[in-house]
Formats: sequence, C-alpha cells, structure tokens
Amino acid sequence: MIEVRGLTKRYADRTVLNGISATFAKGEVVALLGPSGGGKSTLLRCLNGLESFDTGSVRVGDCVLEPGRGRAQSAQLWSVRRRVGFVFQQWHLFAHRNTLGNVIEAPVHVKGQSVKEATERAKALLAKVGMSHREGAYPSEMSGGEQQRVAIARALAMEPEVLLMDEPTSALDPERVGDLVALLDRLRSEGLTIVTVTHEMRFAQALASRVLVLHGGHIIEEGAPGEVLTNPRHERTRAFLGLGHAAAS
Amino acid sequence: MTDEPPPWPRRCSSLSSACLALVALIGLTACGQKEGSGLERVQRAGVLRWGADAQGGEPYAMEDPDRPGQYRGFEVELADALARELGVRAEFVQNDWSSLIPTLERGGSFDVAMNGMEITPARAGRVLFTRPYYLFNLRLMARREDTSTTGLEALRGRRVGTLSNSQAWELLLRSGAQAIPYEGVQEPYIDLEQGRLEAVLMDDIIAQRYGMPRPGLRVVGDVGEGYYAIAVRPGEDELRRALDDALGRIARSGELREIFRRWGIDNAAQQRMVEWTEAQTREVLSQTSTAHMGWSQTLLFLQAALVTLLVSVGAMVLAIPLGMMLALGRLYGPRWLGGLTTAYVELLRGTPVLLQLYVLYYGLAGVLRLDPVSAAILGLGLNYAAYEAEVYRAGILAVPKGQMEAALALGMPTPLALRRVVIPQAFRVALPGVTNDFIALLKDSSLVSVISVVELTKRMTITAVDVRSWLLPGALCAALYLAMSYPLSRLARTLEAKLERA
Repeated sequence: MIEVRGLTKRYADRTVLNGISATFAKGEVVALLGPSGGGKSTLLRCLNGLESFDTGSVRVGDCVLEPGRGRAQSAQLWSVRRRVGFVFQQWHLFAHRNTLGNVIEAPVHVKGQSVKEATERAKALLAKVGMSHREGAYPSEMSGGEQQRVAIARALAMEPEVLLMDEPTSALDPERVGDLVALLDRLRSEGLTIVTVTHEMRFAQALASRVLVLHGGHIIEEGAPGEVLTNPRHERTRAFLGLGHAAAS
Repeated sequence: MTDEPPPWPRRCSSLSSACLALVALIGLTACGQKEGSGLERVQRAGVLRWGADAQGGEPYAMEDPDRPGQYRGFEVELADALARELGVRAEFVQNDWSSLIPTLERGGSFDVAMNGMEITPARAGRVLFTRPYYLFNLRLMARREDTSTTGLEALRGRRVGTLSNSQAWELLLRSGAQAIPYEGVQEPYIDLEQGRLEAVLMDDIIAQRYGMPRPGLRVVGDVGEGYYAIAVRPGEDELRRALDDALGRIARSGELREIFRRWGIDNAAQQRMVEWTEAQTREVLSQTSTAHMGWSQTLLFLQAALVTLLVSVGAMVLAIPLGMMLALGRLYGPRWLGGLTTAYVELLRGTPVLLQLYVLYYGLAGVLRLDPVSAAILGLGLNYAAYEAEVYRAGILAVPKGQMEAALALGMPTPLALRRVVIPQAFRVALPGVTNDFIALLKDSSLVSVISVVELTKRMTITAVDVRSWLLPGALCAALYLAMSYPLSRLARTLEAKLERA
C-alpha cells in the first residue's frame, strides 16, 4: 500500500530522518514508537506530503512523492492526500464549522459531492464513530474525545485507503482508549490501513499488527508488538520501554 | 466707541473656526471685547498690521523671490501708502486666507485684512468694510473649441468652477449653474482644460494671471462686477473712517491707479474708484445676506450625505478585495510579490491621502482623466486597501496553523483551503478592524472636497457661510454622519455576536 524508500530529512543542524525505508501493507495496523525527537511524527507527516523531504521517495498506490515542489509533484501530492487521511494530535477541526460541516467540507469542495449526498454519508459516519448526537455542535463545545471522533469521521469521509494518526491517545481519558481501539479495530476489519504514532504501549499492543521503533532518524527495531514490546533486542528500545540496562551507553 | 457684544451666532469660513465657535459655545469665552479705539491702538504702536495670505500670489501679495521675508504685490504697495497717510508703517501678517475674516472678528494678530476681499453681504455682516479700493469684473472662461458657452444663461445645470463662498459663487447659484467649489486659483482652470468643467467664473485679476495664459481656454465675457475693500474689526469704526479718508486721498492723488498700472491691473473702470462717494459705499454695504437654513438647504445636505455614502461605500468595495489580495500576496506569494505588496502598503500608508488624491486627480490628469467622484473613490480605495491589507494579514496570522494543515491533509489545494477555511476564520478576527476602518473612511471622505467633490463636510462649510451660522449646519452634518456610521456599528456588532459562537 505504502512504500517508503531511503527517506532523508534534514533541518539546518539536525538530521530528523536518516534513510528510512519501510512498507505498510493493505489492512495492516502499524504503530510508530520511539522517544521524542526520534522522527516518528515527521515520518508520519511525510507519508501524506505535509512535510517535504530531501532524498528518497514515498509511494502510495501508484502515486509517488519525491523531493522538490514542482507542478507535477503537486499533482501527485493532491492524489496522495485524497487517498491518505490524517488525524492530528490536536484534531484541528475547522473552528467555524459544526460537526456536520466539518465532515462534509472536503467531500463537497474537493470531491464535488452534492451537499445532500455528502450529508447522508456524513451522518452514517458520525453514527459509526458514535457522534450522531453532536451533529450541530461546534468544536469549542466538545470534549477532546468527541473532537477526535469527529476528526476521524472527517478523514473517513474522503474514503481514504490509509489513515494516519498522530498520538491519538494523548488527550483521551484512559477509559476512552478502549473505545478508540474498538473503533479502529472495526475500521481495520473493513480493509483500512492504519499507521499511528503513539507513546502508549498498551494501545500499540492492543491494536497494532506490527510496530516500528524510531530513534535518531533510523528504524532501530521492528516486529510484532508481542515480541518488540516484551523482548526488545535493541538496547535503545529497552531504555525507551523502561526495561533498564541501557542508560550506560 | 460702542461696547456691543460680539455678533452671535458667528459665521466663519473654515473648519478651525467652527471648532473655535464650538469652544465659545461651551462657554469658555465671550471673546472679541473692544480695547479702546482701533485707530488709537495703531497710532500708539506706530504700525498698521495687515493680514493677507502670501499663497494667494501675484498680483495681490506674495513673498519676494529675491528677498525672502519681504513681500511684494499691489496690496503691499497700497498698505504702505495707507500707513504713510496714517503716519505709521505697514507690517504684513501672514494668515490663511479662509480664516482672515474669523481671525479679524476675534481681534487676532492684525488690525485689518486686505487680500482681494470681496464685499459680499455675508462678510459685511461680520466685519466692517472700508470703501472699495478696486473694481473687478467676474470673468467667464470656457474651452477654446467649445462654442456653445455664450454666457451664464447657457450654463444652466452645467458644471462651473469657482472659489467657494465668493461673489462668483453666489452669482452662479443664482443663475442656476452647478457651482463647483475650489480652494485654489489654478485647479479650476486645470479642470476646465481637462474637460471636467464647462466653464470657470473668477475675478478678472485671477483670470488674467491663471486662466488666460492657457492656450486651450478663451474668455467668454465679463458677467458681473464687484469690489475689493479692506476689512476692519467689528466696532472699530474710527479706524475704518480713517482708512476711508486715506483711501480717498490716495485715489484722488492718482497714486492708486499708478500702483495698479505698475501691476498691470489698471483699466478705465478704475476711474470710478477715484470718483467714489460715501453714498456709494453705503449703498454697496447695505445688502445683507438673507439665506437661512430651510428645506432647500436640508435637501442639499441629504444629497451631500449620499455623495459621502457613495464615495465611502465605493472606496470600501474597492479596498476590501484589493486589501485581501495584498495580504495574501504578502503571506503566500513568492518573495518578489511579498516585497511589492509591502512597498505598496508602506507607500500608501506612509504618505498623506490628501497628497495621493491630488496626484491622482491633478498630477495624472494628462494620462488618466477621471471625473471627481471616480477619482475620489479610486484614491480613497487605493489608500484604504493598504490599511485593509494589514487588518486581513493580522486576521490570517491569528488563525492557527493547524487549520491550514487540516485542510491540506483533506486534499484541498492552498487557494481552496484559504477560501473555505482560513479566510472565513480570519474574517471573524478582522471584522472589528474593518468596521473601524469603514467608519474612519466615512469621515476621511471629507478630504475629497480638495478635488471639488461636494460631500457632507464641504456642504456644511458652504452652507454655514451662506446662512451665517455654524450651529444648525454643524448639528445637521454631525447627525447625518452618525446616522450613517451608527447602523453600521450595530450591524457589525450583531455579526460579531453571530460569529462568536463558532
């Protein structure tokens, strides 16, 4: 579904991604783990072109993102973004639109659906994420968990093949994390590919079919969550997971 | 010396004197008290201080280009001769022309005013006038190729330029022409050449210096006459009589016409100045203004308010999209466009809008011939666009970055994201600033009177002089401005409250 090859991104004095290569198969749920500053959020943002990069490529289906911002590149960019949904850590719901308005905005103005059609689909999606009762609410009137569900519905309204999520559990009460896992599990069973950045090991364990651990711009470890999280091979991973024996080096 | 109170309400001919009248109204002062005889004061000081505006230029009184600080002109020579007759010396006091009469009325920094001051019924009610010293004709000029303008009667309903509240102004109003008011003596002739006016009616001295040298113009004829006289402070009758006598002596001795000859303004008609009698003075000064604030004046106010509204709304309609483009160009455009828009904003914001209007209307007249209202709308619109650009830029910057990212992540191209997501939210932030600007614009639109548009404030000053009172015209003017701006503030507040929810 997504193929990343030799991805490098540098800021003036710092290399954030250092030759990352990875593939994400259809229907897979992958969790990106690692310490802060390890490059996982940057990698996520590169997957739908929100962040540019210096070398390498990102292929989504038959679209390829490469460094540089030419006219051909931006055509690729739009088609990638239409296939890849993104749920931000702070959701970034459109503050001037209510729930329904947020969900139908892109289908109407990007896909050209009629308002009637988009509204019908939006209502179905809101029912799916359990937000039917908040159709008329504005973002400022909703809790973090509610806003997140609307943000998921908004992303799904574009019928993406991949859903990217940045720290989806960071603003949730612990008891709400289970609801989120259940929702994402259902979406996965419908064929959606999900890539999520997280700090929450239990969340990764419950949801992911595979985890990638990023550190210093490299993928230092990957595998099934059961293996990586309970028996990491790399000492950095051990340190990150709080399993000790790593502080020395 | 009678100790009469100052005439009230006063008539003034400039906005500043309106403010002074207001101050007086509040009760700060009952100024203008007499301090003995004016003649005694002049003789004691040994100097006759006379007020004039050197900007009026040749041949009246102007600064000597060869000797800065010295003045020349036929009125300078006349003042010297008069002072000699009174046994004192003359001293020139520079004063803005439009406030010569109000200043004199308050007992300002000069004893008399002498600067092409026509005896009009309106002025005669405020200050004393001596006997006239010069007889002028009102000279009508038109474009050379325009043969249809044969006289005043041919100009009914057509645009004729002149100085506001002058004798020519009153004659034009009586004749049914559309009188267009100017502050300067050059501008009406420029506009006539440009085809923005059908004719110009001015004193022959002005026409001779500023109109007749223009090859594209011709003299239609002289359509009336009037007198220049010296204005004296109200109540100082003794000084006035002394000046009358002195003028008589100078005229009879031939010195007066000798001065006129030196300045090229003598003609056969000036013999009447030599043979002038006191009875004639009484007759000339007997007419008083009868205009008052009635329905016809009120109608003119409403009309002027519509002009103010038209100019303001027109300018805003231009400023809003242009300001938006400038703001977007600066924030999202390539580097060169950002530099260009910044330069535009700094230039238009950093120079007086009055100057911009002048350049647009007179400076560019050769390449861009605009009628006054279009020039007013364009000038104010271009100027306000600079302010709008900054208000919108602030509004856009106030929208969190995440909003744009969320829109991009949903596959929106940047322009669509701006239009659907960022700008609507920026609008909410910018709305109070935009409202504020529009109300400021309503009032700033009074500046367009410099390019001969009669809007509300200009109408007020013209009427105030006509009806010899600032009180009613001022109140009506203020009421009309409020009637235009207040509903707008209310509308904006309602809109803000509506947007508040989101």
